[in-house]
Amino acid sequence: MSTATDPLSSRVARFVRERLPAEKLNARQLLIEKEVPQHKASWAYYLGGLALFFFLIQVVTGLMLLFYYQPTVSDAHASVAAISEHVAGGALIRNLHAWSASAMIAVVIVHVLTTFAMKAFARPRELTWVSGMTLALIVFTFGFTGYLLPWNQIAVNATKVGLQSIEALGQYLPGELARWPTYVRETIQGEPSVGQATLSRFFALHVILLPLATVAALGVHLLQVQVHGMSRGVDVEQVKTERFFPFFVIKDLSVWGVAFFVVCVVAMCLPFDALLPYPLLEPFNPLGSTPDGIKPEWYFFFVYYPLEILPYWVVVAGSTLVLGTMFLAPWIFGRTSRRTLRVLALGAAAYFLLMTFFGQTVYEILKGGQP
Amino acid sequence: MMQSFLLLGLPYVAILGCIAGSIWRFRTRRFSYSALSSQFLEDKSLVLGSMPWHLGIFVVLAGHAAALLFPRVWAGLVASPTFLLSVEAIGLAASALAFVGLSVLLVRRLTNGRVQAVTSVVDLVVLAIFLAQIVLGVLIAVIHPYGAAWSTGTLAPYLWSLLTLRPDASLVIDLPPLVQAHLALAWGIVLLVPFSRLVHVFSVPLAYLWRAPQVVVWSNPRRWSSSVAAATVLPARRLFLRGAAALSVGGALLAAGTAETLGRFFFGPRLSEEQQARLDARKLERLRQTQREKELAVERAAQRYIRIATLSELDARKGRYFIDYEMRPALAFLGEDGLPLLISAKCTHLGCTVASELDAQGRVLCPCHVSFFDIKTGMPNAGAPAKEPLPHLAWVLMDDTQQVVASRGADGRDYGRVDPERAASLSVYIAKREERVS
Repeated sequence: MSTATDPLSSRVARFVRERLPAEKLNARQLLIEKEVPQHKASWAYYLGGLALFFFLIQVVTGLMLLFYYQPTVSDAHASVAAISEHVAGGALIRNLHAWSASAMIAVVIVHVLTTFAMKAFARPRELTWVSGMTLALIVFTFGFTGYLLPWNQIAVNATKVGLQSIEALGQYLPGELARWPTYVRETIQGEPSVGQATLSRFFALHVILLPLATVAALGVHLLQVQVHGMSRGVDVEQVKTERFFPFFVIKDLSVWGVAFFVVCVVAMCLPFDALLPYPLLEPFNPLGSTPDGIKPEWYFFFVYYPLEILPYWVVVAGSTLVLGTMFLAPWIFGRTSRRTLRVLALGAAAYFLLMTFFGQTVYEILKGGQP
Repeated sequence: MMQSFLLLGLPYVAILGCIAGSIWRFRTRRFSYSALSSQFLEDKSLVLGSMPWHLGIFVVLAGHAAALLFPRVWAGLVASPTFLLSVEAIGLAASALAFVGLSVLLVRRLTNGRVQAVTSVVDLVVLAIFLAQIVLGVLIAVIHPYGAAWSTGTLAPYLWSLLTLRPDASLVIDLPPLVQAHLALAWGIVLLVPFSRLVHVFSVPLAYLWRAPQVVVWSNPRRWSSSVAAATVLPARRLFLRGAAALSVGGALLAAGTAETLGRFFFGPRLSEEQQARLDARKLERLRQTQREKELAVERAAQRYIRIATLSELDARKGRYFIDYEMRPALAFLGEDGLPLLISAKCTHLGCTVASELDAQGRVLCPCHVSFFDIKTGMPNAGAPAKEPLPHLAWVLMDDTQQVVASRGADGRDYGRVDPERAASLSVYIAKREERVS
């Protein structure tokens, strides 16, 4: 039907019509008539909703923390400590925010991998996929900006290291261009080194800009998911389906209930900070030396350890390639079989697990020393 | 005499009677081992009476059991005024519920002809005793409140003294008459269990909750249509009731707990003076630190020279941190030539601050990714993540009259010379613009 000779405008119109069919944009089509396939991999259909649930926990607990948090370099650490020590239920809310953040990122990673393996990006679901990848990036940015806010030693130093790695790009650029990464870094920081300006803008990003961006991207994502339904996900020709409303919704809500129970119990029993040695949690001291053991959060290990092990340009080139490929997956893997995609996703999952749990060991084997 | 029989003799009579009587009844009249349902005879007011009565008495008995069996745990809990008040309120509410239910049941026994036909004297006695016991309990709760707290030091030890065969009535002998009457009546009820419908506490049909629904099929063709209806309605209704009860109880608990926590979260902390002082001291310390940083920045903007230390304060092995003109950390050592050695402390890899102590090879360590920098050359060790050397900083030496006597440029060349005898009185500075003395 579509030929390359069509004028661009009509091709764009056709693309939009296919993704946003007017006859489907009503509550009946979006809710009542939606069917969810049932097969061996059906569990993957719960992951997106679960990520959404953890995001909702983040919004609620984040708003509650906002009542007491003070985003200045002199007060930030003390105000966070006061939330944990003096505000009734404050420690629980803060732990819930931290644990649910980690849970959200973990679920998002699995969600990306499973939807990739199930070829959920295939036509007409390209917009679902692209908005989903945008959401995944936003989630990681949430993690990066939120990490700085308690203003303790590990937070500030890990942020410094993270931002400095932008500047390392300069060594590969010729002439005046070599200074540009520095400009970029200082623009993000708001001043030559990480300080009050950085804290202010990370705070603004974390509590205003990123949530707004999330709502926008999530709107597109959810609308597309409801319009086009869940992708079939498997190669089987005939799959059983069940109605989205109310059956799948009720199951979805039960999963949310279990998740809430688990994250609540964990947050009550195990302070997130307990996983780090105390010196890293002291208030940041700009005049002292950097303490040992500065590392990013676990969800950055998959890019942190390669940065430690491989030459910088290899990592930059590799991650740009992977990120670009992921964003363009609907057009690159349009004709790839689900079996191949599953192998790719399993490989990626194995890589994630290896770097997250055994990154340190890998580093020591390859480099022979502490990073 | 009477009092000590009621408090010490009756309990043992009651317990032994209850055990022996139950065994006797189970062996001789096994099929009477239940409450002998009258649901077939009348079911409308039975629901209105039986449901509230059993719900209420279950909650009340659970509270009694918790306080009497685990007095220490319970005493710890009721030490919280919120908990104590909640328990008292819940107990009173449950008693009221049980009272209403029991009254409905009593009226039913007395007014419904079909039920009366199967009512024995013992049934009426049981109803009357329970009614009296509830009234006594409510009166105690109103006249001598906070029984949930005071019972842990009186009634609980008394019960345990009975159970451990060291009967001791001294703890309850002086309690108000109402309480003693409540106690005596309680033992009476225990004694009554095997000889009345109360045996059903030992044969509660819990399996009803999860067994498959029983379908009543009438052999009479006239009833066939209604039997089908029963088969479809009953399980649905039971499931609905069970689910609704669980959801409402769980929901109420959840709502109460959440509301309480949320209320206190937003009410905010009310710190004691000591806590407030500690928090303020902590914040003041951070403010001072922020102030020091700002002062450093202002000083660097305004001053031509920044003082690091006197020459004699510098050490060859342990560096002194200072902040250079670009607000970056740097280290000052005493070099082998007896002159200062100033080197940047900002790692050339990813900008961490290097440590200040030299290792055996005269190197400082960046702890972030393990680069060792030789402070004489600034060079990192082979294979380190850092590739660029740490730059040396220029310095000037001034005497106490603020005269520059010697300096070193950023290129490492020295100007001027230092008289070793006066060296101790000299101070090390960094300069905004490079100084060269001849």
